Amino acid sequence: MKKNIPLAIVMTLGFIFVGWTVIPAKWMQDDFYTAFQEFVKTMSPFAVFLGVYSLINVHYNKIRMKAPKWGYSYVTLAGLFVTSLVGFIWGTQSGTPSQWIFRNLMMPMSSTMFSLLAFYMATAAYKSFRARSVEATVLLLAAIVVMLGQVPLGMTISRSWPINILDISQWIMDVPNLASKRGILLGVGLGSVATSLKILLGIERTYLGGGD
Amino acid sequence: MNFIKNLQGLDRRYVFIFIAVAIIIPLAFPFKSVTYTTSPVESLYQLIDSYSPYVRADDLNNDGIISEEEVEAFKLDRAIFMDFYHDAATMPELFPMEVAVMRHCIYRKVPFFTFTILPTAVPLIEEALSVVTEEIEKTGRVIERGKDYINIGYKPAALYLPILLGMGDDIAAAVETDSDGNRIENLPMYRDTAIRNYTQMNLVYETSGNDQGLSWMIYARPRFGVNVAVGLTAVMAADQYPYIQSGQCVGMTAGLKGAAEYEKLVDMFAMNNINYSKGQLDDPTEEMLANLDITADTVPTEFKMARLGMNAQSVAHILIIVFIILGNIGYFLEKRKQNKNL
Repeated sequence: MKKNIPLAIVMTLGFIFVGWTVIPAKWMQDDFYTAFQEFVKTMSPFAVFLGVYSLINVHYNKIRMKAPKWGYSYVTLAGLFVTSLVGFIWGTQSGTPSQWIFRNLMMPMSSTMFSLLAFYMATAAYKSFRARSVEATVLLLAAIVVMLGQVPLGMTISRSWPINILDISQWIMDVPNLASKRGILLGVGLGSVATSLKILLGIERTYLGGGD
Repeated sequence: MNFIKNLQGLDRRYVFIFIAVAIIIPLAFPFKSVTYTTSPVESLYQLIDSYSPYVRADDLNNDGIISEEEVEAFKLDRAIFMDFYHDAATMPELFPMEVAVMRHCIYRKVPFFTFTILPTAVPLIEEALSVVTEEIEKTGRVIERGKDYINIGYKPAALYLPILLGMGDDIAAAVETDSDGNRIENLPMYRDTAIRNYTQMNLVYETSGNDQGLSWMIYARPRFGVNVAVGLTAVMAADQYPYIQSGQCVGMTAGLKGAAEYEKLVDMFAMNNINYSKGQLDDPTEEMLANLDITADTVPTEFKMARLGMNAQSVAHILIIVFIILGNIGYFLEKRKQNKNL
């Protein structure tokens, strides 16, 4: 029962949406779809409620049981309540406390985390980007050309060279990169269709949880 | 030899210091650099510019004289839709391109909608709108919310597909309200114009740090014929090339470089209220060149963030290349020494 009912829901709704994609009739395209939109709008607040409840529950339990690093749970909960309250009371437009929190806390912290990538990439390139084989050498040369072609200084440096670095950089992106990307995309696409069919037909059931 | 050997085992903290210095110095002391534009950025610029009443009035009579009446006749019956699908983490790369596209729209009187399904992108939209409107209003131009643009704001992710498809019929019915809770049908940009669906709002510009733009290419483009363009972080750009080549994606601003290119085009043409021309792009006038000098005060700092950032990126790229070369020299010297000892 625990598996058959969810399976039936997935199969029924899955085939309905396959039908919606291929049946151009008004009852499918308009009537059914309008009803579906209303259903989704009604369901959305429950999903938000579930998310907030889950977050509070997890962190409340962490604090209560003094789980490892439980102090950070206070920060998470404070962040949740303070930003929500500020947003509810003053709104989120420019000039409001919500915008102040975004500009002075959220923006610098998030950007700092993302900018760490530049430092790790530089170290990784220095420590491990070696021309150990022919393939690695081709990769290395392509990387250098693309990196030079991406920045104004690279273009200025290469201006006196007999070759146009921007053209070569663009060719690498347009031809070898595009060919390999297209191959990967085709593979992923075919794989997605196969997996979707397996789910619709009830062959693939791992998403239901459990062992089998 | 010892130097190379030491260089091979260089502590990564020194590399961090070099990179930090290479980024901080060009940001603290900006220098002039040339930005080269590429076709995906030029295509996007040209498409948005083609919606401008200035361009369309000029195309209509082709007499080279554009009167205010002609501009008014075309005003507000073309629009673009901006979908923000990222948070503050990718802001350094994506924010300058969003600001540049908004500026382009405002200078050229192309109305635009802003929208997101990410709660964390809501303040980002407000930030972009306030940066653009505050700076442009300093020049005396009044920009009205609901008239020059509509900020739809946040809608739950569950409604993404219904909204995406619903806007094919009627924008007001699909999104219902703007970020302030006003009904879309009561806002001047909708009420007093012909903008109703993808026929008029014929370009979706989606900015993200992933391939979210595909949703528009898969669902909205085949069904309603809407043009889709993307703004991406540099690492995601390579994934979009198949769609650029096939024409499913009409334009792309990739990373800080794409943003810098768009900023340049806006400063050269839109800021001077000049129609785009490839000839003038290669051979700019004195007026255009004045706007391109990022060390001068002609253009506010907020409007040249990408080009200022590209200076830092330039130096960092060159430094990384130097590191790679040094690392490889050390590797080969080490290998040769080992071979001799055998």
